[in-house]
Amino acid sequence: MTESEIIRGCKRGDRASQRELYVQTSERIFRLLVKMTRNQDTAIDLAQETYLRAFDRISQFNGDSSIATWLYRIAVNEALQFQRRKGMLPLPPDHDSSAASAASEGDRTAMRMDVNSALQEMEATDRAILILRYQEGLDYRQIAEILDCPAGTVASRLNRARDRLRHALSGSYGTEEEMTRTEHLRDVG
Amino acid sequence: MNCRSTRESLGAYLDGELPVEACAALEAHLAGCSTCAVELDSLRALARSLEQPPTKGVPAELWDRIERGLQSSTPIAASSRRGAVFSRRFALAASVLIAVGLGGWAIWSFNGGASVANAATVDFSVLLDALPHDAVGAFEKFLSKYQARLVSPAEARNAAKQLDFEIPDVLPGGFRLEKAYTMRFGDEAGAAASYSRYGEFLGAIFHRPVHREEFGSHKDYDCVIGKHRGHAVAVGDWKLVHVTDATTCHCVLSKLNEQSKLSAVLSAVAPRSSESSPPNGHSDLHESSNHGG
Repeated sequence: MTESEIIRGCKRGDRASQRELYVQTSERIFRLLVKMTRNQDTAIDLAQETYLRAFDRISQFNGDSSIATWLYRIAVNEALQFQRRKGMLPLPPDHDSSAASAASEGDRTAMRMDVNSALQEMEATDRAILILRYQEGLDYRQIAEILDCPAGTVASRLNRARDRLRHALSGSYGTEEEMTRTEHLRDVG
Repeated sequence: MNCRSTRESLGAYLDGELPVEACAALEAHLAGCSTCAVELDSLRALARSLEQPPTKGVPAELWDRIERGLQSSTPIAASSRRGAVFSRRFALAASVLIAVGLGGWAIWSFNGGASVANAATVDFSVLLDALPHDAVGAFEKFLSKYQARLVSPAEARNAAKQLDFEIPDVLPGGFRLEKAYTMRFGDEAGAAASYSRYGEFLGAIFHRPVHREEFGSHKDYDCVIGKHRGHAVAVGDWKLVHVTDATTCHCVLSKLNEQSKLSAVLSAVAPRSSESSPPNGHSDLHESSNHGG
């Protein structure tokens, strides 16, 4: 089935079309929700709500974006609402407190673990934009549609989120990130 | 291009989002500025560190849960479909309790235009037992038990036309509406709504006055809140307050008390409860288990 056939079928309430849309998109949606919530059970609940809400609102889908982007938007909103209701999520149970010392040896796996910890400590919308760009591989236009913000602000929001992530990581490693200071900057025409 | 403008553009350049003409200027700057080149390497390393190994696949149960939600929906209009929301944690309990709830309802009788359940029970123990530590989870358990479906406030009122209640967008005290639901108490429609104020939860439930309410091991007591007469069950800081008029039992779960807007909230959701409520706050048929008032 083509995407337009799937959408038309979903608007009719056709179960086969709904199933096909789910088959084509669920891996991405579920993966995103696992990354945003770091909890598989929560991700399952939110994925269920995402699809039920999507099938409920499918008549409002006007084709301005792809159906996958539209689903991402619903999923991100569900996750952000959940996180606002529940507050900060705890670190995953497999968090390794020895990661910081391993990271000083340039161990990339340990750095990834620390990045995950730092991500969880970030504000939810900062975390969302970093996940959408660097873990879901979405471009700025898609991110703008999902987060319902002007395309021109995605770059600046990503800059801000990256800076905050590096600030959080600099605390993990015990090193000072110098790049926020400006003495080294020089005007070169 | 200077260092400041270069730094602002490095992220977009790394992401392949910088316009071609700006790329040339940026690359020319990088060729002559080791500091900005190091910054680019740092951003590249950060992006690589964010990459994740593949997550586990989608659980097979997910589609089953979605399909159950779709199958249990009842179209309000021919062109619309609604879905029920069942939590994975409560699905099994809900399937058992719904069967019990349905078995507890008698045939409705009609008397002069008023519909009354002759013998029916609403079981609040599943909600009360989960208090005080997780009021949201407690409320969701109750919603799941009585087949809650997420709808708009207007749809909730339309689906439960025989009831008299309001679901305002904002309640006194600043509680903002988060979600509205239709519910099924046997063959009878009810409604519910969840509110939040800076992370503080408030839940409202509306159902037909019933013959009996179950509170499990918790005791209820008669109370007067402003102009409202009703009865309440307290668990820790949480109160489940019931005020009943001729057609509707309005239940509010909150941490509010008489001094903190509870009376105003009750007036907002039960605008006519003080006009026609029975002297003891119960319907004529009502009896509750563990009544301690």
